[in-house]
Amino acid sequence: MSSPPLSAPAGMPVARAASALPRLATGGALRSVLRVALAVLAVGIVWEAAVVLLSIQAHYLPRLSLVLQAIAATPDAYWSGFVRTLSEALMGFSAGAVFGIGIGILFYRMPVLRDMVFPLFIVSQTIPVIAFGALVVLWFGNTMLAKAIIAFYVTFFPVTVNTLVGLRSVDPRQVALMRSFGATRGQLMRQLQFPTALPQIFVALRLGASLSLVGAIVGEWFGDTTGLGVLLLQAMFNENAVGLWAALLCCAVLGTLFYGVVAFIERRLVFWGAEQ
Amino acid sequence: MKPMIPLAAQRGILGAVLLVALWEGVARGFQLPAYTLPAISQIFGSIWDMRTVLARAAGVTVTEALVGYALGALIGIGGAIWVTMAPRVRGFVLPAATAFNSVPVIAWSPLVLLWFGMGMSSKYVMVALAIAFTLFLSTLSGLDRVDRRSVDLMRSFGASRLAILWRLRLPTALPLMFAGLRVATARSVLIAVVTEMLGAQAGLGLLIYQAVVQVDFVQVWAAVFVASAASLLFFGIVSFIERRTVFWK
Repeated sequence: MSSPPLSAPAGMPVARAASALPRLATGGALRSVLRVALAVLAVGIVWEAAVVLLSIQAHYLPRLSLVLQAIAATPDAYWSGFVRTLSEALMGFSAGAVFGIGIGILFYRMPVLRDMVFPLFIVSQTIPVIAFGALVVLWFGNTMLAKAIIAFYVTFFPVTVNTLVGLRSVDPRQVALMRSFGATRGQLMRQLQFPTALPQIFVALRLGASLSLVGAIVGEWFGDTTGLGVLLLQAMFNENAVGLWAALLCCAVLGTLFYGVVAFIERRLVFWGAEQ
Repeated sequence: MKPMIPLAAQRGILGAVLLVALWEGVARGFQLPAYTLPAISQIFGSIWDMRTVLARAAGVTVTEALVGYALGALIGIGGAIWVTMAPRVRGFVLPAATAFNSVPVIAWSPLVLLWFGMGMSSKYVMVALAIAFTLFLSTLSGLDRVDRRSVDLMRSFGASRLAILWRLRLPTALPLMFAGLRVATARSVLIAVVTEMLGAQAGLGLLIYQAVVQVDFVQVWAAVFVASAASLLFFGIVSFIERRTVFWK
């Protein structure tokens, strides 16, 4: 299940090696994908070997092969859960990213608004989402939209904060220099402030990729019939360790895929990034 | 004349007052049913009526969040420093940590509950798990922000790696590290509450769950308010420490 998503990003830089893409970034991306693949393989071998050699009870950690067999036995249930949770998270994540960056810029531009609303945002983030889950499901019905809204709710805050922090980290002398050459506010934002904030924003987007999945899964706990969260909950109530690990594995693949895509886009866009 | 309260705080208070007035006005004016939106006065009345129950539950949840937060922060910051000091390890630890984190934190909670039981220890583990990676990521990106030339300069004066870490890397990383610590405060309470909702013997999460089952939405809001107040206080304390520590920002 994990091989197609891993080989896809690996194949692309190779095919484009001759393009204008900086050599370093291409090599780095390929190497890190290889490294992740190796790490996954190593974890799989260690997992299987440890369970067999240390004779760990299946209640704690079942053999990887058993878990994979469980997925292979009913692939449809896991696949539909995978797709369902992915769509919910993706909807919430995209909306949260756009809204977060927009609000971050707005707050940067209008300090009065920031002072008035930002504390409320902070307060809103301290609300335990799952308690809200019952209300959100009640308000919006037991639909994908309700889960996407929860995913959105947990994504936008880190993006807003990091956009604001990134924009404020711009060197005022650079702003003054560009102003003295007659740059407009739009030009300042597009050519200086936003690019400077971008590495910060991507830190939040990477976090948001994980958080939006959390939001989607927690949202599914509030009554749904498909989704990885549902599979997790069912396995827990049945104390079915194999099923639990199978659902966790699907969550891991989904999370890696999501995170990997965001990190890949980051490497293409923020090629000057702070990584040494 | 210097105002008693800074301007930013005045605006913040204004925003909050406006929201409360709007909420109360909408809920009372349209006579919304409690499942849509109970009036704020109604929620505070419920908090007052249930104050002993809520205080005891909040005590449990806050303890879980604090212990998990401390554990997670130690692991996350320690891990980031370790990885920076040992670049060889980085190549293996970073993908492993990323792969580990790729499982949405909350998905571990059914498993952690099966392993550690319904008591408080399962919540410590869950909160620590969630906080550790947040801090690992933000501390690491802070430590990486160091200007290569500054490192070279210090090295040319014979500074040891420990000295570079203490005098250059850590101060550079502090702003991002504290940003992580700040975000982590709200998360720690949240994870504790969410894990309690799946299975617990006491705590705000259990209270919320019971209220949802009994379809008592005023009680849900009351417990949510108390949980929010707790994590807001936590957030405020960490922000205060941040302002004292990262005074140059």
